[in-house]
Amino acid sequence: MAFKDLREFIKLLGKTGDVVRVKEEVDWDLEIGAIGRHAYEIQAPAQLYEKIKDYPGQRVFNGALGTFRRVAIAMGLDPNTSVKQLYKEYEARINSPIKPIVVSDGSCKENIVTGDDIDLFKIPVPYIHEGDGGRYIGTWAFEVTRDPDNSWDNWGMYRFMIHNKRYIVGWPRYSSHLSMVLHGKYVPQQKPMPMALVLGSDPLCSMIATAPIAINANEADYAGGLCQEPVKLVKCETSDLLVPANAEIVLEGEILPDRTVQEGPFGEYPGYRMEGAKDGVLVRIKAITHRNRPIFTMISLGVPPDDSSIAASLTAALAMKRRLLKHNVPITEVFVPPIGVTHIVVVGVKRGGNEVAKQIKDVLTARRADVNKIIVVDDDIDPFDFDRVIHAFATKCHPIRGMLCEEIEPPKGNALTPCYNAQERRAYRGAIALIDCTWPPELDRITSVPMKNSFDIMFPATLKNKVLANWKAYGFKEKKKEKR
Amino acid sequence: MKKEYQTFTPDIKNLAENTEIKLTIKDLNPGTGKYGAKIVKAILASDPTKLPDGDVLYVRSWIGALYPQTWAIKIIEELEETEAGIPHGETIGAKK
Repeated sequence: MAFKDLREFIKLLGKTGDVVRVKEEVDWDLEIGAIGRHAYEIQAPAQLYEKIKDYPGQRVFNGALGTFRRVAIAMGLDPNTSVKQLYKEYEARINSPIKPIVVSDGSCKENIVTGDDIDLFKIPVPYIHEGDGGRYIGTWAFEVTRDPDNSWDNWGMYRFMIHNKRYIVGWPRYSSHLSMVLHGKYVPQQKPMPMALVLGSDPLCSMIATAPIAINANEADYAGGLCQEPVKLVKCETSDLLVPANAEIVLEGEILPDRTVQEGPFGEYPGYRMEGAKDGVLVRIKAITHRNRPIFTMISLGVPPDDSSIAASLTAALAMKRRLLKHNVPITEVFVPPIGVTHIVVVGVKRGGNEVAKQIKDVLTARRADVNKIIVVDDDIDPFDFDRVIHAFATKCHPIRGMLCEEIEPPKGNALTPCYNAQERRAYRGAIALIDCTWPPELDRITSVPMKNSFDIMFPATLKNKVLANWKAYGFKEKKKEKR
Repeated sequence: MKKEYQTFTPDIKNLAENTEIKLTIKDLNPGTGKYGAKIVKAILASDPTKLPDGDVLYVRSWIGALYPQTWAIKIIEELEETEAGIPHGETIGAKK
């Protein structure tokens, strides 16, 4: 099922108790950021701010997908769907992409602002964290760009802030698909690159924009798969780019190949604020289109969980799983725990040992390495059960033979990794720690592999069945619930 | 009433005083334009008494931490809205 638009999704969140409509006047200057951040940290509902100081009639929405529960609602599932089941459903849907359809009009065109009327300060863009370099207009928004040679339309989620009333400046990573096309096909020709920034599309379009989809693959197709129906796209006013017709706000502009300004710093998704950039990616805004009484979407980014770490848990994990399967690595599951902010991935394997672990490392660092710690576990460990993963790490990972640490050549490193130093981040250098928590395949299972003392393994099946059947009779109230 | 601005600097030791320099400042004055950026030619002083007709300048590090000392700034002129350069210039420079 798909939502008609963001508003329909918010309405449903209201019915399930997953959004708070804040009617009290709030200040765009830090107050919304503070409320939003605290809400994430105590796992409170999303927030729709309906009365913003200085911005009568406009609204701000924070936290669309800040919990797995809200992701389940966005996917039309039971809010209590388990994380593992969400992964399965997401995987099934993105394996069945659906092409978008192009429509002639959409609600994002209810108001069209061009020329001297453009003033980005008329949008209630919050100043999120004290000490940020500016007001971030792109936190839960996605950029649309096109490869001029093959019409590859890329959606990506990269941060952008207001520079002044006509310019925004951002920091799509140098290793991103946007940057690859920008520096491959526009900067060398000294041509401006058309870009649209989409705010307040339906939540699954935003989610798919966080996904590391393959080069030359259109995210809109996968958004269709996720929504289980074609996404409706409409042409921009000032370029041929296509954007979701139901978006709340669309900024149309062009990235300048020969101009720049300072960008950042900004409190980012790993939960830290690192350096700003002297030479940000500068976009001159040529048009703003928006719905009546638009809803500005944002996330007050920080320590996990928030929309970034929750959405990326699914999108990054399944992208890694697809790559590993494509290379015939004998994996079972891949889990990216939100608490690890895509810096840690857990990979389950059918057959362990250093060779398989190294194969996993090679595949996951081939083009870029956002992750810097890969934990490999045998198939007796559920990768989604982090307690069991830590137990395996503690007991099965040899401190020397089980660890492989090596540098990642630039520009594959993740420039937002806090443990790297500033020079490493700027040059996109990195490192990877491979943590092999599997038994070497050459160890004899009868004589050498230590036997695990668990309920599953240490007791006869008939006895286990009896224990489970009599659980309540023994006086227990219920079985332990699956962790979400 | 003095106006208030802030600037972000990779190294406070390189913020030259008592001479005209080019820098990017963020407007901290109330209103919807707050936090907008300007590129200006200005004179700075780490001791505001040495620039009595200057406005207030808060200085933050490149990661956004506020230095405890408040500076003074006298804006000579506003320069162009943007600067010559290429996107990701520092990274491209660091690769060389």
